[in-house]
Amino acid sequence: MKTSAVFSALLSLLSLASAASADSKSSSTSTTLPATFKPPQVFKNANLVHVISVEKNYVKENINVLVQNIDKAAQDEYFVPFTADQLSRLGGVEVKDRKDSNAGPFVAEAVEFDQESDIQYLRIRLPKPLAPGAQQTLGISYYLLKAYKPLPASIKQEEPQFLSFSFSAYCPSAYTTTKQKTEVKFPSSTIPDYTKIPGSGEITEFPQVQGSKLTYGPFDEKPAGATQPVSVRFEFNKPVTHVSHLERDIEVSHWGGNVAFEERYTLYHRGANLSSLFNRVKWQQSQYYQPNTFALKELKFPLRVGSADPYYTDVIGNVSTSRFRSNKREALLEIKPRYPVFGGWKFPFTIGWNSDAKNFLRQTAAGGFVLNVPFLEGPRQPEGVEYEQVQVRVILPEGAENVQYHTSVPSQSINQVSVELHRTFLDTIGRTALVIKGRNLVDDFRDRELVITYDYPLAAALRKPLIIFGSAVAVFVSAWLVGNLELKFDTRKK
Amino acid sequence: MSADPLHALASAGKGESTRGLLRVIILALIAGASIASRLFSVIRFESIIHEFDPWFNFRATKYLVANGFYNFWDWFDDRTWHPLGRVTGGTLYPGLMVTSGAIYHALRTLTIPVDIRNICVLLAPAFSGLTAIAAYLLTNEMTPSSSAGLLAALFMGIAPGYISRSVAGSYDNEAIAIFLLVFTFYLWIKALKQGSMLWGALCALFYGYMVASWGGYAFITCLLPLHSFVLICMGRYSTRLYVAYTTWYALGTLASMQIPFVGFLPVKTSEHMPALGIFGFLQLLAFLDYVRSAIPSRQFQTFLWLFAGGTFGIGLLGLVIATSAGVIAPWSGRFYSLWDTGYAKIHIPIIASVSEHQPTAWPAFFFDLNMLIWLFPVGVYLCFQQLADEHVFIVVYALFGSYFAGVMVRLMLTLTPVVCVAAAIAVSTLLDTYLSTKSPKPEESQAAEAAEGKKGKSGLKSTSKPVVGIYSIWGRSMMVSALAVYLLLFVLHCTWVTSNAYSSPSVVLASRLPDGSQHIIDDYREAYQWLRQNTREDAKIMSWWDYGYQIGGMADRPTLVDNNTWNNTHIATVGKAMSSSEEVSYPIMRQHEVDYVLVVFGGLLGYSGDDINKFLWMVRIAEGIWPDEVSERSFFTPRGEYRVDGEATETMKNSLMYKMSYYNYNTLFPPGKAVDRVRGVHLPDVGPTLSTMEEAFTSENWIIRIYKVKDLDNLGRDHMSAAAFDRGQKKKKATKKRGPRLLRVE
Repeated sequence: MKTSAVFSALLSLLSLASAASADSKSSSTSTTLPATFKPPQVFKNANLVHVISVEKNYVKENINVLVQNIDKAAQDEYFVPFTADQLSRLGGVEVKDRKDSNAGPFVAEAVEFDQESDIQYLRIRLPKPLAPGAQQTLGISYYLLKAYKPLPASIKQEEPQFLSFSFSAYCPSAYTTTKQKTEVKFPSSTIPDYTKIPGSGEITEFPQVQGSKLTYGPFDEKPAGATQPVSVRFEFNKPVTHVSHLERDIEVSHWGGNVAFEERYTLYHRGANLSSLFNRVKWQQSQYYQPNTFALKELKFPLRVGSADPYYTDVIGNVSTSRFRSNKREALLEIKPRYPVFGGWKFPFTIGWNSDAKNFLRQTAAGGFVLNVPFLEGPRQPEGVEYEQVQVRVILPEGAENVQYHTSVPSQSINQVSVELHRTFLDTIGRTALVIKGRNLVDDFRDRELVITYDYPLAAALRKPLIIFGSAVAVFVSAWLVGNLELKFDTRKK
Repeated sequence: MSADPLHALASAGKGESTRGLLRVIILALIAGASIASRLFSVIRFESIIHEFDPWFNFRATKYLVANGFYNFWDWFDDRTWHPLGRVTGGTLYPGLMVTSGAIYHALRTLTIPVDIRNICVLLAPAFSGLTAIAAYLLTNEMTPSSSAGLLAALFMGIAPGYISRSVAGSYDNEAIAIFLLVFTFYLWIKALKQGSMLWGALCALFYGYMVASWGGYAFITCLLPLHSFVLICMGRYSTRLYVAYTTWYALGTLASMQIPFVGFLPVKTSEHMPALGIFGFLQLLAFLDYVRSAIPSRQFQTFLWLFAGGTFGIGLLGLVIATSAGVIAPWSGRFYSLWDTGYAKIHIPIIASVSEHQPTAWPAFFFDLNMLIWLFPVGVYLCFQQLADEHVFIVVYALFGSYFAGVMVRLMLTLTPVVCVAAAIAVSTLLDTYLSTKSPKPEESQAAEAAEGKKGKSGLKSTSKPVVGIYSIWGRSMMVSALAVYLLLFVLHCTWVTSNAYSSPSVVLASRLPDGSQHIIDDYREAYQWLRQNTREDAKIMSWWDYGYQIGGMADRPTLVDNNTWNNTHIATVGKAMSSSEEVSYPIMRQHEVDYVLVVFGGLLGYSGDDINKFLWMVRIAEGIWPDEVSERSFFTPRGEYRVDGEATETMKNSLMYKMSYYNYNTLFPPGKAVDRVRGVHLPDVGPTLSTMEEAFTSENWIIRIYKVKDLDNLGRDHMSAAAFDRGQKKKKATKKRGPRLLRVE
């Protein structure tokens, strides 16, 4: 079987490298260094291409850099600088070797050295120390959330929305950069404003515009820490959907053969506010004449095939504006907010669905269980969705033990992992719940896996039926005893 | 052998324990059926709280669950009746909330994760199952035939008169109160029959629970003394009555006084005086009983007359003095409206404006009770035939309940139990008579009579009883099958009424799409959710009082007035703001710190329960307080019509309610085609203009429209001129104001 092959591969992966035993310790991703820390100048960026994509409502950046060890000793720590503000909004950092795809994701973690300092560092550990004079091509990709400001900050309901984004034309680096350029990709070619800087070489003025792409550079050698602030303003007539908090519960039931999902979203629109209050007439007219709007009208959740019984509620109750299409090829849940969500508005909601356990759960030869679920299953929107705080809680059956997990979501985005007890549905000792808290994730990670292995002995499975049976018997026996008590004063035989 | 199963089936019901088991099973099925028939709205829509009042009860329950009992008891709610607030903990009947809170916590201890909303939604059906069982117990006290009890349980379970207030989601006080009513009556009968203090104390306990749950407890407070009084008048005073009544009264009154909302009312108000009077009367009777056994009868006669006259005189005098001195409150207005149905219309428009306070129309009896209504008198007649103490109770209850059900629509609820009991007695008597397989043999009865005649003095033919009985199997089966058909029709009727009349949440409306699928019109929740998510936490919402509880429950925002209509003046203030012109309304709204105004407008959809149709009540209530400033007459055309189209009066067109309802509405239509589908009229081409407020939100089908009250103008202008300036009318005004040009001399 193909799936079992995948599972065995995953299992070997588990046992090999990153199997993390999830005891109640929080796995911190930062390392403490002295407050006076400065990255040693042991590297040189021989060539650097910085690609900034603002096509979605979050920023995706790719830094492809050819690094060269200029020190006399072999080096294995490469530092990337960020401002403190950026670091708090940074997520999904992944570092690869561009030349060697087998080198696997490198470990990247934030360095903790001085809380007050505006410059913070991300440390990348090279799996093999780079020999003196040797070169290596690093591909660093990451996401920035809450990156834009709407400009103008408030617009009319039928006007297009413009966003502005500021960054540095020189890629921030802790090392001297010999040659670099920065490309910015936009969702459309409508870019009314961008900062112009004097050019170099045969190009007189940066940036160069090609359709929906701006290019700053190539620049010649820049020292470490050089910056050149620029900002761009572009049309983005789509909702800037921001999920400040997502709670995702996955409840596994062995008796019911069911995996139940529930997701609670706190959703904001971070785009332009309305300059005059909402007008229903204009809205109804624009639905016909100009359906393209920056208001959030619909969210589409492509669920796993086989998902069933979806529900969509908010704090008041069921929201009736949803549709669920389920067949052999897809299970698409389309939901509409109760009202169109404009900039500055909020719409919290809850969705949930069920699925057969056999789609996600396998028993291994050793008798343990392997659960493989998606880490995130948010909406798939053309404009993207960003998640500030994500809490995934996997509720395993009562009595499950020896819980281990592995996820392909970048470890930089995972804050805390703990195993808790969750009591529900006539539990006596409570169910084992694995809680993973992540931050700054985007919908690009919606297909990343979360693999959990656990043991579930037969005694634990039989616990609940026996306890319920026992307590029912106890109730009957005590009722019978009470019924046999003679409470009357008068005990004369009739 | 082939006849064996049939035989076995026939003999199955013979044994006493088998019968008991069967009865339990049948009762359980009846309780199940009564729960199931109330679930239409949950299946069709969702598990949602219905209508208006239940939203308050739901909110209070959530508060109780979140903050605990003592905080609930001391709850001062500053999110209603802004800026007055409401001492909610002391002005509600906590029984309902405490019941659901207790269920919630019990389930939590068993670690069953049930949402408090689902408990609230399903509380009424669950209690209706209990009511069916209580009706069974009550009926069993009336007649030895246990089939009557089962029939009564069945009737009680599905009678629309009771279902109307107990469908799933109708989370109102009546949901548990009817069970408590019937069960208290059962305990009272039990106590009376046995003269037992234990049953009397239990009766008082449930009476206390009833007082904690529903203002209708006064029905019990009046009915039990009335029953006792009738018994005394019939010469049926007994120590059983004495024990039952005094136990109930003493303990029950103490229990009722524990509820803050009731407090000292049981010793102060006139509604409670009959109970106190009978209590005193029973003491006197007991005393007289004792005296009679002690002294000769001649002396006793004189003693009796003097004593009775003296006591009555003193008691009456005391009552009159206490009432006039204000120690005992006179009958309240709501109570007056029970005697004179026109009273409320003249004196208290706020009571008259509620549709459930109207007198009952005759078809409503048939609608709510169907065949029970014509079986009811038969049952009462059968009670007259036996007329033991408990039958007197049914007779008294029947008279009392019928009167009140005729006066006020909602009191149909209190009539329904007695109708079910009486009808069950009638049906079971009929069935017992016609289902019995034995037919009397004339010879036997003659022989029996002859035997009797020997002992008796007269042998006259006319005095001997005629032989009555049903001889033909044909007549029997006709009668039984007719009854069966009636019973089936009754079930059909109940199901139909429940499904069509009583299962609409009224928060959510349903319509059909052309392809037959259901389409939900969810404008209320759309707008409430918008308010909840996108306005300030303490933004004050002004709306007509009908929507106060819903705004509090769903939108979670402070309101000016709500369905707890305790302050007529405050409601009249809102009515005045709604019915006056903007110049008058704006200062009122500023003074009350109103941020948003919510109106309900059904013109686009043809939804008739909207604010324009309720508007006259706002005007009337406002006129009651400010007769000089608001006048109902000026909302009618000279020909006496209530119009909203181009012919509407100036007062109407200038009123805030009219403006808010129709603002921007004409832009939705091609010029000249704007039409109001509720009133069925064409609207003028030029819509109203608003200067002091701006449209903030309108729901998808325009049912809810929310307006934001503008802040004071930045430049210190009044809003009329500021709005005129924005519309580009500045020049006109400027030229008007400017005087004749003067030559500048310098």
